[in-house]
Amino acid sequence: MAKFVRQLQFLLFLLPILAIYSLFTIYPLVKSFFLSFTNFDGYTKTYDFVGLKNYARIFVDDAITSAISYTLFFTFGKALLVTLLAIPLAMILDQKFLTRNFHRAIFFFPSIPSGLLLAYIWGFILAPISSGVLNNVLRELFNFGPQPWLSDPLLAKLSTIVVATWAITGWHAVLYLAFLQSIPKDYYEAASIDGANRLQKIRFITFPLLAPAMTVSVMLLLTGGLKVFEIPFALTKGGPGYETYSITQVIVQRGISETQYGLASAMSIVFFLIVLAIAIFQVTVMQRREQGLQ
Amino acid sequence: MKKTSLLLLITVLCLSVVLAACGNTSNTGNTNNEGSTNNATKGENQPKPVKLSILAWNNEKEMKPLIDGFKEKYPHITFDFQFAPPVADYVAKLQTMLLSDTAPDIFMIAAENRNEIIDGDFALDLTDEPFMKIMLDSNKSMVSKDGRTYAFSQSGWAGGLFYNKELFQKAGITQLPETWDEFIEACLKLKEIGVIPLYDRMHDITIMQSAMFGSNVLSKDPTFDEKLFKGEATFAEGWTEVLTMWKEGLIDNKILTPDMIGMTSDQVATEFALGNVAMFPGGPWNIGPVEEMNPDIDFEIMGIPGKEPGNKYYNGAPGTGFAINVKTKNKEEAMLFLEYMASHEGLKQFEEGTGGIITVQGYESEVDPRYLPAYRDGLMASKIYLPMVTWNRHQEALRNQFLVSYQDIVVGKITPEQATASLDNKLKEMDNK
Repeated sequence: MAKFVRQLQFLLFLLPILAIYSLFTIYPLVKSFFLSFTNFDGYTKTYDFVGLKNYARIFVDDAITSAISYTLFFTFGKALLVTLLAIPLAMILDQKFLTRNFHRAIFFFPSIPSGLLLAYIWGFILAPISSGVLNNVLRELFNFGPQPWLSDPLLAKLSTIVVATWAITGWHAVLYLAFLQSIPKDYYEAASIDGANRLQKIRFITFPLLAPAMTVSVMLLLTGGLKVFEIPFALTKGGPGYETYSITQVIVQRGISETQYGLASAMSIVFFLIVLAIAIFQVTVMQRREQGLQ
Repeated sequence: MKKTSLLLLITVLCLSVVLAACGNTSNTGNTNNEGSTNNATKGENQPKPVKLSILAWNNEKEMKPLIDGFKEKYPHITFDFQFAPPVADYVAKLQTMLLSDTAPDIFMIAAENRNEIIDGDFALDLTDEPFMKIMLDSNKSMVSKDGRTYAFSQSGWAGGLFYNKELFQKAGITQLPETWDEFIEACLKLKEIGVIPLYDRMHDITIMQSAMFGSNVLSKDPTFDEKLFKGEATFAEGWTEVLTMWKEGLIDNKILTPDMIGMTSDQVATEFALGNVAMFPGGPWNIGPVEEMNPDIDFEIMGIPGKEPGNKYYNGAPGTGFAINVKTKNKEEAMLFLEYMASHEGLKQFEEGTGGIITVQGYESEVDPRYLPAYRDGLMASKIYLPMVTWNRHQEALRNQFLVSYQDIVVGKITPEQATASLDNKLKEMDNK
């Protein structure tokens, strides 16, 4: 009984945040689940129960099939690039040099403004015509003709990945930096005494001890990547065709623009399950990898 | 530990169920208390002070001359003015307000939400109000259903192709093209002398495509869209020829190229102002910025010619209409506002504030001479077309499908026949949803 009262005390402290979390996360999720079985159009309060019709429609929607393939390409492309760039960057920023703090701030900065704003600015840089900044630079330096960075199906996909990587690499480098700084220096000293060279120290000390950081970083990259909306939307509006439509853009399009809230809710529920499955799989695999490495 | 988690889970679910239950309860109480905030009486002869609420996509600065003029005439009426930028933000905000019974006394009906507003009975029927008599029939069509009109719309716009007169002369184009073939010929002449003929961002159903539909289909059958939505015609029958002409003339001749898809409207206008491109599709809103960037540029607007001569059309639509919330508590005052809006004084103030073009009977709008062809031959001659106005259902879904399909034509993924088939399928899918 005493134990229960003690636990109840702790639970009481959790109540305020639990109420907020329930109101803004759990309630919309439950409500979406409920609406996914209806033909709610966002205007009238009366709607009918349509069973699994909305779920059946998801898989014949050509926009969603295209969006799933682009979103996965974007997510894994960005996660790979950011991880490959953020770890070396964190190691460099961990070194002692005069402008170290200044450089840390510079690399961290792109993650502060909203993605939408950054993407609009990148829109000018990647403008497809000859007056676009990048096309101008390429012409002046290499006499290279203008490239359709945002209107060729493949180039548009790659451009969105590059912009997203540029924006978030610094943030992930700081995450890795925090873990790097927690590695005791004794390990490196001991390795030096044993005659290990720089590469061996990185391979056998830094990497294994960075594994927990990688688990967190990759999980954030994957879940964030799957939820992407603003960067492709601001750069290409999803075009050309459905080439750079993200899953969230299709949900917004079907729900808000086309007033098909029932269908959009069904898409959200399926999307939620996909993200959940990928996140659970990734964390399980990477935690096993951590244990193996350590 | 397991017990604690279970307890947490149960609490979360309980809270959710309670909240979900709250959400399902229909909110019948009118929460719109804007009008009843100032109901202290000041005397028997003096009218009660009233606060009218308005939601518009014209901002407060644009609406100020009209509102100030009205307040001068009716000092007992004050305003709670709310603004949401067009189009998606405005539509979403109004939708949320209507759904939660917090919609203002007066709001705007646009091409994008007219079906939902009218079908949902959210707006008062204004058909028989005396001030509605001055509205043009072409304006009424957008805010009417089954012969009843639900908003007062006093303006309109038309878009066409702006062309640089100097570059046309340089290319030896002495007369404006009267047919589509002559237009393509003029573009090729410009290309020959090293001038980019045309920039089009291709980010929506384009001004050119809409106008081409007008000059090639509506000029022969003005009721085509009506038939289309009654199931008596198909997109394939109306749009395949138009999209084929557009593709063969502009895409196959590389007058429009896929790289233009990523351009912004500012870039297009800047390139035109700098004389780097001879034409671009635009409307009255482009004149000021182009002139500001290059005061010496000599330019004018022209219509899009059809296959046959004499069928030039413009892209365009009536302006948004002002409607009265069916649940308003201040119906009388809201009516007074619309009545004032329709007066000569109100029309002038609206014109001054918004820079819009007034298109009501008995009022002559002053338009820029470079825009005169669009005003005279397009707007006032009813030679304007915007699909969103006459497509009578699922406009957004169809618009998006149209955009995606013709972008696929541009990058060579599909043919015009496949594009129009996808539109017919979309309409069928939306009707059966």
